[in-house]
Amino acid sequence: MKKTGFLFDERFLQHQTGPYHPEVPERLEVIYRGLEQRGLLSQLTLIPARPADWRWIEAVHSIEHIRRFEEACLMGKSELDHPDNQICEETFQTALLAVGGILEAARRVMERELDNAFCAVRPPGHHAEVDRALGFCFFNNVAIAARYLQAEKGVRHVGIIDFDVHHGNGTQHIFERDPTVFYYSIHEHPTFSFPGTGREFEKGLEAGYGYTLNSPVLPGYGDEEYRDAIEKDLVPAFDRFQPEVILVSAGFDAHEDDDMSNINLSTSGYSWIMNRVMELAERYAQGRVISILEGGYSLSRLPELTCNHMEILLKG
Amino acid sequence: MFIEQSMNRKVITIDPEAGIAEAKEKMLQYRIHSLPVIDTNRNLVGIVTDRDVRSAWPSDLFSEEETLRQKDRSAELKIKDIMTADPVTVSPANTLQDALLLMQKFHVGALPVVDRGGKVAGIISLRDLLGAFTEVLGIDEPGMLLGIVADDRQGQMKRIVDAITEEKIRFGSVLVSRHWEEGKRAFFPYLFTHNVLQLKKKLEALGFTFINPLEWYLRDQPSKIEKI
Repeated sequence: MKKTGFLFDERFLQHQTGPYHPEVPERLEVIYRGLEQRGLLSQLTLIPARPADWRWIEAVHSIEHIRRFEEACLMGKSELDHPDNQICEETFQTALLAVGGILEAARRVMERELDNAFCAVRPPGHHAEVDRALGFCFFNNVAIAARYLQAEKGVRHVGIIDFDVHHGNGTQHIFERDPTVFYYSIHEHPTFSFPGTGREFEKGLEAGYGYTLNSPVLPGYGDEEYRDAIEKDLVPAFDRFQPEVILVSAGFDAHEDDDMSNINLSTSGYSWIMNRVMELAERYAQGRVISILEGGYSLSRLPELTCNHMEILLKG
Repeated sequence: MFIEQSMNRKVITIDPEAGIAEAKEKMLQYRIHSLPVIDTNRNLVGIVTDRDVRSAWPSDLFSEEETLRQKDRSAELKIKDIMTADPVTVSPANTLQDALLLMQKFHVGALPVVDRGGKVAGIISLRDLLGAFTEVLGIDEPGMLLGIVADDRQGQMKRIVDAITEEKIRFGSVLVSRHWEEGKRAFFPYLFTHNVLQLKKKLEALGFTFINPLEWYLRDQPSKIEKI
């Protein structure tokens, strides 16, 4: 059995998004309870959150964005950049804690204290741009982790797999000119789904051309199309790229019962994907996987999906 | 939606007395496919396209001797010999819709924009039109498309737009199309938001339904989803 880390902190619940918002603290509560009920908590190594050093946030985001975010929270504003991005006084600190916890998970995996880890964080990150909050995201957690691994842990090739049902525009834009970070995303087709980017022809820019890969899936489709795209697009790409660590933007909103998308991925479809990710990680990255929660809004489905996710990480 | 706002004002033009090599060079340099031909008073006298230039250029298929002969002939050719005189034009006050229909009707890729005095004020290409329509759709900003089915009667669009406005959601465009079901219409607002749960509830309460994505595929229905 693998040594699997679990980043969770009750302070992640302090980020409140107000009424009529799907990105709610209950998402983490049901995940935690689900793991408890399936008896998985005792098998996991709990990673405590701690505020990230600003320099890591600055490795991705503009200082103006960081300050503006902090000020908006201190001033008691209710949103940042767009009504989608609801904030409260604690949001900035929560986002800092999330990043700090993720970097701690990354450190432990690189120093062999852990084999892999799942970071159940809020707020999510993959829509956040260098200087703009977007789609419930403020700091791009996965992008900051990639920069940390490169700068602090000497990793050259970071592979990111984003299976949130929405395209990770922020992550793509941050790395689209960079041939050392491969960004792969599979998501609902951008004509129908937020944020409207992530078409097949978006393959990176300049030196980074060929290091961004998108597999849009049309609404209504599910397991079969995901399996085909991952085998045909992701596997050969990672075969060439040879990532030394795999970061996962784990969004569970492609599930058929999640009403934030029209993609019909089944529970077993999700398990198939994660098993395939683990195989890739074993082959290229010495099993090093750091999975970071993005979306997933079905409070009834999140527990089983994240429990299965955890069991796959534990099995390795 | 006027040409004036979308046209390219920096027009690369050519003189009717110029040689065709000059046209070829300009097209390569600026990566464009057509050059308005203007006289010394900036009056439009024709248009020359990359196709005109290609047709006048000697083909690689000729024998060496023949190629030389053709090259001599090409070297003598002037723009006025190969251009289309009296080209299709628009005025700055024409609309993008006019340009779209004209390009479709005359099978051309660019239209010189000519002011009242007959002088070239700009050029509008298919590429400019595509840019303008991308903007019209609003899809250069993050957002999502909603597919709403409504009865085909007056006032439905207003009710939909009112609901969107009440939710304080900005939108880029609303496309309206016929629905395959008799007496129904489909509305596709492009919304600048990631959160439509409340709006969907509201629209449902107003009696609207959403297009089932499985019904979007009229010819190619997705196969029954196979469990892995």
